[in-house]
Amino acid sequence: MGSDQLAELSRLLYFPTTLMLYLGASIVYLYALTTTVGRTDQRERGRLARRLGGILAVLGITAHVAHEIVRGLAQDRLPLGNMFEVTSLMALVGVSVGLIHLQFVRRRPELNGFVLLGGALVLGMGMLMYAEPGPLMPILDTWWRTFHVSLLVGGMGVFAAAFVFNALYLLRDTGELAVAAERSRAGGGSTVGAAYVGDVSDGAATAADPETAGTSSGPAGEDDELDPDEERDRAELLAYHRALRRGVPPVKLALGTFLGTSLVSWVWLTTADTWSAGLGRFLAVNLTMVAAALVARWFVPFLPATATMDGLAHRTTAFAFVLWTIGTIAGAMWAEVSWGRFWGWDPKETGAFLTWIAYAGYLHARATRGVKGRGAAWIGVAAFIVLMGTYLIANYVIVGLHSYADL
Amino acid sequence: MTESSLPPQQNPPVRRRRAAPSGPVAFVWESVLMGWRWLARMRTALYLLAALAILSIVATAVPQEPNVPSTVASWREGEAGPGVGVSRVLDAVGAYDVYGSAIFLAVLLALYISLTACLIPRIKAWIRLVRRSQPPVVRHLGAQDERTVFVTDRSPAEVRASAAELLSRRRWRVRRHDAHADDPRPDQVAAETGLWAREGGSLVFHLSFYVLLAAIVLGQLLTFEGQRGVVEGDPGFRDTAVSYWSYSPGRWFGEGDHQGWRLELERFHVDWVRDPLAPGAGQPTVFRSDVRVTPQDGEPFDAVIDSNRPLNLDGTRITQLDWGYAPRVVVEVDGEVVHDTFLTPVLTDGGFFRGAVKAPAADPDVGMDVFFYAFAPDGEDGRPVPTGAPWADAPLLVFQLFRGDLRLGATQQTINELDVEELTSQGFGALRLGQSLELEGVTVSFPELRRWVGFQVSSRPQLPYLLAGSVLLIVGLLGSLYASRRRLWVVTMEEAAAAPRTLVTVAGRAFQRPEAFEEEFADLVAELMAATDGAPADPHPTTELPTALPAAETTR
Ligand code: HEM
Repeated sequence: MGSDQLAELSRLLYFPTTLMLYLGASIVYLYALTTTVGRTDQRERGRLARRLGGILAVLGITAHVAHEIVRGLAQDRLPLGNMFEVTSLMALVGVSVGLIHLQFVRRRPELNGFVLLGGALVLGMGMLMYAEPGPLMPILDTWWRTFHVSLLVGGMGVFAAAFVFNALYLLRDTGELAVAAERSRAGGGSTVGAAYVGDVSDGAATAADPETAGTSSGPAGEDDELDPDEERDRAELLAYHRALRRGVPPVKLALGTFLGTSLVSWVWLTTADTWSAGLGRFLAVNLTMVAAALVARWFVPFLPATATMDGLAHRTTAFAFVLWTIGTIAGAMWAEVSWGRFWGWDPKETGAFLTWIAYAGYLHARATRGVKGRGAAWIGVAAFIVLMGTYLIANYVIVGLHSYADL
Repeated sequence: MTESSLPPQQNPPVRRRRAAPSGPVAFVWESVLMGWRWLARMRTALYLLAALAILSIVATAVPQEPNVPSTVASWREGEAGPGVGVSRVLDAVGAYDVYGSAIFLAVLLALYISLTACLIPRIKAWIRLVRRSQPPVVRHLGAQDERTVFVTDRSPAEVRASAAELLSRRRWRVRRHDAHADDPRPDQVAAETGLWAREGGSLVFHLSFYVLLAAIVLGQLLTFEGQRGVVEGDPGFRDTAVSYWSYSPGRWFGEGDHQGWRLELERFHVDWVRDPLAPGAGQPTVFRSDVRVTPQDGEPFDAVIDSNRPLNLDGTRITQLDWGYAPRVVVEVDGEVVHDTFLTPVLTDGGFFRGAVKAPAADPDVGMDVFFYAFAPDGEDGRPVPTGAPWADAPLLVFQLFRGDLRLGATQQTINELDVEELTSQGFGALRLGQSLELEGVTVSFPELRRWVGFQVSSRPQLPYLLAGSVLLIVGLLGSLYASRRRLWVVTMEEAAAAPRTLVTVAGRAFQRPEAFEEEFADLVAELMAATDGAPADPHPTTELPTALPAAETTR
């Protein structure tokens, strides 16, 4: 096969194959989440859906890996040379590490759908930066570069997974706070409210944990008939679900997501050839993120306990922070070798430093008792905005020494 | 329980000494103390980190003079950027050189003081902890994170010995406790791990910042960096203070520190993907210099400097920085040669190279603004069509000729810039390789084309220290994020009813990452059971288990 055909094949593997598989797996997994409260036949369907989601996800990762390999063959070098390749690999690392961590380390497969959704979003963003395969500038063609870029890309992918967890944590926490506030108001006093709040967390545990949900009403569901008590419990649970969802005001969420995404996505306004094309990209990115946020809002009742997501966000951030630290130091060493200076406050170096400081802020906030929880999660979200912003700005807006935007 | 909800006592207690100021300096002393305490709070460190982040954002958004002086100059003159007024404000607050500004230095200083204020008590507490602390012996095992019971035929003492041996082998610190009359706490082996590594890792991580700072300051003093362009086949240059085009030595770098070698460029290799339809069209593929080095007192030798392989000469590093074409331009006025050298024009954004001819030997001075197009083939009408391509297949030299006063020495100008203030234009000319042209009595010819390479010569004695600081930073970070503090107790009881059986209770507590501890704990229990031929406890033990006792309380 010629390199043209290989290039074409690698593009097809990326889009639509991988993108569709990730999206499909994500939808199936998210559907499986909704079956955790319901009758036995529904739970059976949930199990099947999870299995199907797993198959789709594995196929997606396989297609993605195949894309990377074919692209590497087409251009006869590692696919780590430009924005598109870096973004694609970032999605691959984020999805693989996220799924493996959730499935096998944390045993929280119910969150897989969100990780896949995040991966699909990053993959889609990569489409905006698509570049045909080609050779590498000789200055970039070194073992140092591979080492440095792989670590930073790995770090970015894992930071992206951490962002998903932080965002879900904030959504769920907002819903729970609203329900607690509502109940304490309904109860007319804080003491009574507290009792209801305890009740709330029970509901949360049931909703969150399919195992618990399964055992508590499993035997009764055998014949698909719920007795009146169960029926009432179920109605209460559904009411609680609706209350949780209501607790996250959709308009505020959509606006907040739009504005938050704009902090980064304005870069698209400046990169396209024409103003209207730029505006189109800007709106596409923003509206996709808004849609993702609204989808996530719908799933708020099915999320695990906030502590779980908080812990996931912390551990993934810690891991990515280590990758980022080593990767940045490796970058400085490479710069010393190839440019004769180890640090020059070039836009990319500044961006890496800034991201590092932002995530150090998150880790410190987690370690300080006063700021933990929501405060830390918000710092985590802000740090991800810093990461994406510096990544895009340093590549597209300011052309520095190691910008590869023009490749 | 997640880490964030852990009580502060997981960290060694920090004792604060009380100061008792008196006399007239009391006020000052108290203020200093208050400031110190404020700086010692982690929240303050967070604010300072945020300030550092904001400053780097400014440095990303505003062009920085040390990186892109020309952009800054055009902002100052209002040709680009937000205008002259805003530019003045930016200048006043030091935004054009954030990393050299007073604000940045102040934030950095505050961070370091804050770090120091934070670390001194933590180091003291850590040393105290490591020196004195022993794993605590428990009275009751009620509310630990993990708990398991098993039975074995071995005697209690044997089981404790096995447990102690197993845990020591896994590098836990172990304390054995045998009950006696004054101390009713049950027979047990108490163990703890991660105590050194976690807090110690965090300390090493933060201390590495001092190593890095020291190395950077050392670097400011001892480093040397110079740039110099060399034309192929030229005599090159010698490593002395005066031979560099730009030269920035550290304060303690003296002229005697130069090594005095000579560097010649024998040949420079550069090539590109020339097919405009091929992927990566126009990208360079080769970028390599064959050089000849003559040490001050030694034999000359040949060497190659490649894009990622600089040349090392006794700690001095020679890197390729940039390159360009070196057209030889000869200028004659009234039959007399007033200029005959290779120019070293630099690549511009427009895809051409720009340089200057300065010939003060003529009277009045001759100056030329030179534009060099590497690939400008003739078009259909016979006129050259400049392309942006960098390969010299159809080189074209375009110039604007000036006469007048070059103002050499009167103004700051680089070799590729012409000060046209006192010059008057005599018109334009264009030359192909080998041609010459007469314009207003001045004959300009372009007989030869070579290439030049800009080399950077640097000497940085601080690098090993920076590397050491980075290694400390990474090692400390791994410790502080991945070491986890855990405690474990193995309590043995003679089972009265079914002697000789020993009832073994293993309990553990995780200070960090409890979810990971579950598996570690299960592994440990499995190993201990294997070592003592243990069997899972029967579900209805005849003896009351230690758990039945009220809430856990750990004592020293
Ligand atoms: C300069 C002022 C600084 C102060 C006063 C400070 C203070 C502290 C303190 C007190 C802790 C311990 C938290 C605990 O275990 O309870 C800590 C942890 C940590 N610090 Fe700093 N720090 C400073 C700078 C930095 C910087 C510049 C970084 C790196 C970017 C950094 C990264 C970390 C990390 C990664 C941890 C571990 C967090 C954890 O245990 O989860 N620190 N810092």
